[in-house]
Amino acid sequence: MSRRQTLALLAVVGVCIALYLTLYKIGVIGVLSCSIGSCETVNTSKWSMLLGIPIAAWGLGAYIALLVLAMVGSGEAHEASVPISRVIVALAGWSVLFSAWLTYQELFVIRAICIWCVSSAVLWLVIFILSVADLRAVSRAE
Amino acid sequence: MADKGVDGGRGRRAGVVNKQRGNSSQRFYLVLALVAVVGALFIVRAARAPRAIANVTTAPITAAKAEGYLLGNPNAPVQIMEFADFECPACGNFAVITEPDVRNRIVNTGLASYRFFDFPLPMHKNTMAASNAAACAADQGKFWEMHDELFRNQPEWNGESDNKDNPKKVFLGYAKSLGLNTDAWEKCFDSQAHQSRILANQAEGVRRNVQSTPTFVIGTRQIPGALSYDAFKAYVDSAAKEAPPVATKTDSAAPKTAAKSTTKGATK
Repeated sequence: MSRRQTLALLAVVGVCIALYLTLYKIGVIGVLSCSIGSCETVNTSKWSMLLGIPIAAWGLGAYIALLVLAMVGSGEAHEASVPISRVIVALAGWSVLFSAWLTYQELFVIRAICIWCVSSAVLWLVIFILSVADLRAVSRAE
Repeated sequence: MADKGVDGGRGRRAGVVNKQRGNSSQRFYLVLALVAVVGALFIVRAARAPRAIANVTTAPITAAKAEGYLLGNPNAPVQIMEFADFECPACGNFAVITEPDVRNRIVNTGLASYRFFDFPLPMHKNTMAASNAAACAADQGKFWEMHDELFRNQPEWNGESDNKDNPKKVFLGYAKSLGLNTDAWEKCFDSQAHQSRILANQAEGVRRNVQSTPTFVIGTRQIPGALSYDAFKAYVDSAAKEAPPVATKTDSAAPKTAAKSTTKGATK
């Protein structure tokens, strides 16, 4: 499996997490499955919304964008495309920073931790590392 | 002839590479579909899980004034309000770990009064029943004792426990161990006599734009989230500086007496 295909796979995992949290936030899912931490405390706090939209929905958008980019970049026509790699690195880098800020809010402001949010933050970190490796490999081959 | 052989070799190699690529793509799509299906099944299962069940009451609910449940001297220089949900884990952690210190070192010393307001969240199946159990214990002057039992033993009765469909059985056990008149408590619990009081407390939280539990109001500041004792004390000290002085020569003894007598009892 290529790096871009792995990225697509991780994006699908991210879509599932973000969709789950978004559906909870808009009331479709009644109770969050949360064996560690206090997911509800975090997801009902004021930091769970940004510009009137649930944070999870922003995450969902970012994961879908990554999925589209990684799928297109996995095709034969674009598998050596440097611009696609750059866009993925930019998206993943921004998401890592944003996730780090959210994790800081959880730990030091809300004082509660949401295992799904932390999982998403770790996922973005893995995606970022993989995307940098992909960019280096594609740039070297060019 | 030699060229033909080379071309044939290249063709075969390209064929093998294409076949390998095809196999790899197939595997990729298979894994991708598998992950997506597992994720979708998890989400569908979560969405179909039973939602919080509303308590059914036949008696009309009349509006009540939000009073909360008082601990300590009502005339203390700093007023503290807590908006909490009995089934919320963060509220439970605060009640078990930090609140004993707050009571001993802030409320019992007359520095502040403490009022608990029910803020039942709709996603918690048994929180309304727990508020009801505590309100009925307050009828017999044991709100705080029931409050402590409920928070300390959340896993015994919450919406994920073995008793999730019959929390009353567990609450009745607490009522017995606290020495309450269980007949009176049960009658109160079954008739949901204090539903209006609980809803009034909740409405006060909504009015104050409470968005998570626990949320504290200490003096003029509203702070969401569980606080450590040190942070709590810092807010109380800050509020005490802003509060007008209350202790005069004539009434300086009054708060102490009141604090002592109301520490363990709840106002109605």
